[in-house]
Amino acid sequence: MDWGKVKFFLGEVLRNFSRNTGMQLTAIGTVAITIVLLGLFLFVRGALADLGARLLDEIQVSAYLRTDSTAQQVAAIEHFLARDPRVASAQFVSKKQALADLRERTKGTIDTALLTENPLPDKFRIKTRLPDDVPAVAASVRRLSGVDNVVYGQKTVQRLLQLGAVLRRIGIGVIAVFFAVAGIIIANTIRLTVFARRREIAIMQLVGATNTYIRLPFICEGLLAGVIGALLAVALLAGARAALWPRLLEALPWAQLTLMPVDPRVLAGELVAVGAAIGVVASWISVGRHLRT
Amino acid sequence: MISLRGVSLVYPNGVRALENINLEITKGDFVFLVGDSGTGKSSLLRLLYREVGCSAGEIVVDGIRVDRLRRKRVPSLRRHLGVVFQDFKLLADKTVWENVAFAMQVTGAHTRDVMRQVPRVLDLVGLSHKSRMYPGELSGGEQQRTAIARALVNNPKILLCDEPTGNLDPANTTEITALLQRINLKGTTVVVATHNQAVVDRMRRRVVRLEDGRITTDEERGYYYLGLGQSQVLSG
Ligand SMILES: Nc1ncnc2c1ncn2[C@@H]1O[C@H](COP(=O)(O)OP(=O)(O)OP(=O)(O)O)[C@@H](O)[C@H]1O
Ligand SMILES: [Mg+2]
Repeated sequence: MDWGKVKFFLGEVLRNFSRNTGMQLTAIGTVAITIVLLGLFLFVRGALADLGARLLDEIQVSAYLRTDSTAQQVAAIEHFLARDPRVASAQFVSKKQALADLRERTKGTIDTALLTENPLPDKFRIKTRLPDDVPAVAASVRRLSGVDNVVYGQKTVQRLLQLGAVLRRIGIGVIAVFFAVAGIIIANTIRLTVFARRREIAIMQLVGATNTYIRLPFICEGLLAGVIGALLAVALLAGARAALWPRLLEALPWAQLTLMPVDPRVLAGELVAVGAAIGVVASWISVGRHLRT
Repeated sequence: MISLRGVSLVYPNGVRALENINLEITKGDFVFLVGDSGTGKSSLLRLLYREVGCSAGEIVVDGIRVDRLRRKRVPSLRRHLGVVFQDFKLLADKTVWENVAFAMQVTGAHTRDVMRQVPRVLDLVGLSHKSRMYPGELSGGEQQRTAIARALVNNPKILLCDEPTGNLDPANTTEITALLQRINLKGTTVVVATHNQAVVDRMRRRVVRLEDGRITTDEERGYYYLGLGQSQVLSG
């Protein structure tokens, strides 16, 4: 290892970096804002997915049988459900059992003793492996003979799916804009550095430095801005989490946010990697555009 | 070592700087390029280190076909050449030592070689005692010698000098001339573009004369003015 070489190279990068501090700080700030937004987005998305998954998990399909359904039909339905790979479990609930359940649930509010006969049909209580399969499974069960009606939480499922989609679209839009802004600002910073160092670059070229060698310090400069911005963002997010997380748990007890929906260390690593990538890509393009001779 | 055949140069703005240049320079030669301002001396040197590409003809430098050189190969051509520029091209925020070392460092030289070569060339040009000074603190002659040291630091086989005695007083001019002669004696091929009559006439080396972008004369032991020594010009 030639430490003299490393020292010279790092010295050049740092000298570049400190050359237009104002611009450099702007670049770092924009990267930080972008990464904070991205972090929030990923966090909210994770939390929603977590919450949604739990809500969807509780969704069951109830297939009510016709009052005149035969034992063969019940057996055929049972067989069908047992063979469908999408079905996690299917439980036959007789009308007697259903009434007992109802009595248990409505104890004290409705006097079921007044009923002269059992109005409830037999039914199958079905759980799917994936929440996404609920509508499809419901539709295919409805088509079986002996099945009267199939019911599941259609509204809840659709709302959750829609809310997720809308949030994702808005989030991606806002973040894309910030990515573009951060990229443009870094590219512009690099352009200024290239301009400030044009004499040095010209001399490097005249004494036979390769293009790669000339570009490397600028790419490193972009990388540095990206990484510093991202680290700043991660620090901000960590601070915000420490301050706000307990209060959020208190305010939204129904959401059962007992666990972190995303691993903070993995998220921090991803965010820093994204910051580094913005820096490298932006400076790469900028140097390529401004180093033509 | 250097060979130009039927070389022409037209700048993008349409200026015809050089026309049908034919020139052979062998290893160890010392050649003056003389001519009035704007006749194309700098342009000819620029062709050799591929700062500009020729419009027609064939250029060979140290075995490299410069006219057909791909952009990616230009750095390797320049590493074989030492160039002293008309405007020095020193970096104001680097010391003499750093300016000279720069040419090695940016071409990826080992620190060990930098530490050995830089003091050697600074000693050769007589600037060892000023190695920590900045170009702004040096005289014109010292800046010129710094530029020469930088051109020599990579041990080039060919040294190209554009107006190396441009703004120097006679004493400095003599010194630089002697330095170039010493470098040439060590086997380096030297090409000097100049309009300094005194230098050319004292050295009595090969003189290639340019007029309006064409070579008009090429003498083995020439004077600045065609066929005349300085004294004859003055007296007659
Ligand atoms: N980059 C350029 N673009 C267009 N024309 C140029 C360029 N450089 C030089 N020229 C033109 O080419 C011609 C030759 O210029 P060059 O610099 O080679 O002359 P020179 O002999 O070195 O002059 P001097 O002794 O003043 O240095 C001039 O007419 C000049 O205007
Ligand atoms: Mg010139």
